[in-house]
Amino acid sequence: MKGLKRLLIFLMVTMLALSGCASQNSDAGGSDDGAKVELVYWSMWNSTEPQAVALEAGIKEFMEKNPDVKVTINWNGREIRKTLQPALDNGQKIDIWDEDLERVTKNWKAYALNLEDYLKKTYDTTDGKRYEDAVMGSLIELARYFSEEDAAYAVPYQPFVFAFMYNKEHFEAANITETPKTWDEFLVACEKLKTAGYVPLTTDDAYIDTLLGYHLARYKGYEWVETLVQDKTNALWDDEAVLKTAENFEYLATQGYLSDTVGSNKWPAGQQDIAAGTVSMYLNGTWLVNEIMGSTGPDFKWGTFSYPTVEGGVDGQNAANYGSQAFQINKNCENPDVAFELLVYLTTGKWDTEIAKQSFGVPVSGTAEWPSQLNEAKSVFENLNQVYPWAAGIQADTDKLPIIAEAFTKLLSGQFTAKEFIEAMK
Amino acid sequence: MKKSKSMMIIFLAPAVLSYLIIFLYPSVRTAFMSLFKVENITDAVSKWEYVGLQNYQGLQESSLFVQSMKNLVNIWFFGGLIVFSMALLFSVILTSGIKYKSFYRAIIYLPNVVSAVAMGTMWMQYVFSSRYGLLKGVFESLHLTTLTNIQWTSPDMIFISLLIAYCFGMIGYYMLIFMAAIENIPTSFYEAATLAGANIWQKFTKITLPLLKDVFRTNIVLWTISSVAFFIWSQVFSPLNPEPGTVTPMVYMYQMVFGNNMVVTDRNVGAGAAVGVILTLIVVAMFAITSKLLKSDEYEY
Repeated sequence: MKGLKRLLIFLMVTMLALSGCASQNSDAGGSDDGAKVELVYWSMWNSTEPQAVALEAGIKEFMEKNPDVKVTINWNGREIRKTLQPALDNGQKIDIWDEDLERVTKNWKAYALNLEDYLKKTYDTTDGKRYEDAVMGSLIELARYFSEEDAAYAVPYQPFVFAFMYNKEHFEAANITETPKTWDEFLVACEKLKTAGYVPLTTDDAYIDTLLGYHLARYKGYEWVETLVQDKTNALWDDEAVLKTAENFEYLATQGYLSDTVGSNKWPAGQQDIAAGTVSMYLNGTWLVNEIMGSTGPDFKWGTFSYPTVEGGVDGQNAANYGSQAFQINKNCENPDVAFELLVYLTTGKWDTEIAKQSFGVPVSGTAEWPSQLNEAKSVFENLNQVYPWAAGIQADTDKLPIIAEAFTKLLSGQFTAKEFIEAMK
Repeated sequence: MKKSKSMMIIFLAPAVLSYLIIFLYPSVRTAFMSLFKVENITDAVSKWEYVGLQNYQGLQESSLFVQSMKNLVNIWFFGGLIVFSMALLFSVILTSGIKYKSFYRAIIYLPNVVSAVAMGTMWMQYVFSSRYGLLKGVFESLHLTTLTNIQWTSPDMIFISLLIAYCFGMIGYYMLIFMAAIENIPTSFYEAATLAGANIWQKFTKITLPLLKDVFRTNIVLWTISSVAFFIWSQVFSPLNPEPGTVTPMVYMYQMVFGNNMVVTDRNVGAGAAVGVILTLIVVAMFAITSKLLKSDEYEY
């Protein structure tokens, strides 16, 4: 009994001591190191990811150049999708955060600073140009488009485009000299690859619906795809474009152009087949290069081409889902000028190149050099002028999506015919 | 020892207060929230928009939610059948006086020690893989072509695969509870039965099972709670988007509250709260039903 009492007292004292320490720490935070400006950055990366390593080095250099600025980084990883908003609601000091451009703008615009004035100024690393002219204009436009008020609330970086990522060595061995522009050319390429002994195409459960979305959007545009999946009467599934799309994929399945495990591929099984060199093409974002770098190594010969057009379709190869990660600045930030300077520092000049290089990603400023793995992606980017939503709208109804994805998986694995696929959708 | 009211209050207060703040308040708030459309979980109450029972109606119309409820029932029923029969079988065998009992018990319990995320990933990426999977390899070496060709993670098979993997891990836990209960039954009962000429089966059905009734009731309630809270395994088997074979109400709730992983969609925390209320009612109902059906008996030993 006495022992228990002692233990209890000990525990209480420890707790008190710990809580005392905690409050002392937060008190001291504001005036550490004699820094005048303190910024807190909540990051979407985990500290070991290449993007994080590069960002941390860039921020460190910024602090060395500006000794009165202290930046504290909190590596949230993708959990930031859940942690950020409650923390902001709670009034926690967070000056800068980042996530996907669409997500930050649509979900967190209310907490963010309108950056239009900052975008129009020139900075040390923008070669005398205004910031918005020094970086990819299409992304700034996209930031304005997502905000629905023609004002940018985010600073884009790490751009991506969703396109066919393929193994160039396979294409060369199969004697395919030009990347497919139309669906017919795509089928010819598949046949050549198959003859050369490769499996032309695969996908994973996580991305399988993107094939369907893109194909339908090439026929009728993404807005039609969104209407198709949101229409509760399911009448649009009888449209001729759906039948043609289903037949196109049925043909891929019956010709043996798809990996035989396509029906059971659980991400990342399919993309590992690409890395292993057993399959040639995979519809994915340009981030794939970095994502499977551990398996491919830097010498893997990557190629990229935009989703082919279809006969009688409305959309061309200039339309694709593209976007980026993006920083936002808190509208209540005490030093927004310094915060924006930091973002400029990271997204232009040396550090833009460095982040792209280390993460095998796409740089955001016009002058930076692209990693060699993404040379072909560069021309895809330059050709873009129409943005698709994610998966070209096929995910517009998250309730319907699992049913679509399941039926489409069966279509690709040869369990369903085109007609059975359409029946399953109704 | 004298009883003092003030002492009782002082000692009870922390527990009661904790219960009120940590359990009761969130429950009441969740029930209340399910009648509103709420965009973000930390939104102030002033931002909530009253919609009455619309959230519940929306759930009824959502094919994905209906599918998730079907999966829940299947996991509860078929999973329960597998787990309880296997756990009972193992516990009877292990308490029958075999050698190396504690070694086998440890082996069967082992999956419970490993994190569910690690276990799930191992099952999905390794055991069920259609390229280099364990099952594929084993069946291939036995020349069982039909079994080799099963694509365990395809839409048709994913639920069965999920159930196998989940039950594999759960058997040990329930086995331990059954074993403890069986070991509590006095051996003299069995000795008397043996003298009277009863065989193993008769001893099991006439002595062991009736005396395990109380434990069964506890186990069914525990099983219901863990089935209703079925989440991690679904997430590991379908990490990015829910799929019909693996979706459960918890996964659906998660998507409603925090949004979809891949696309930016409208969130409705109110609908998520409605799922929470429904699940709570299911657990309470199951508890009431099992208590009624398996009434505590007057057996004493």
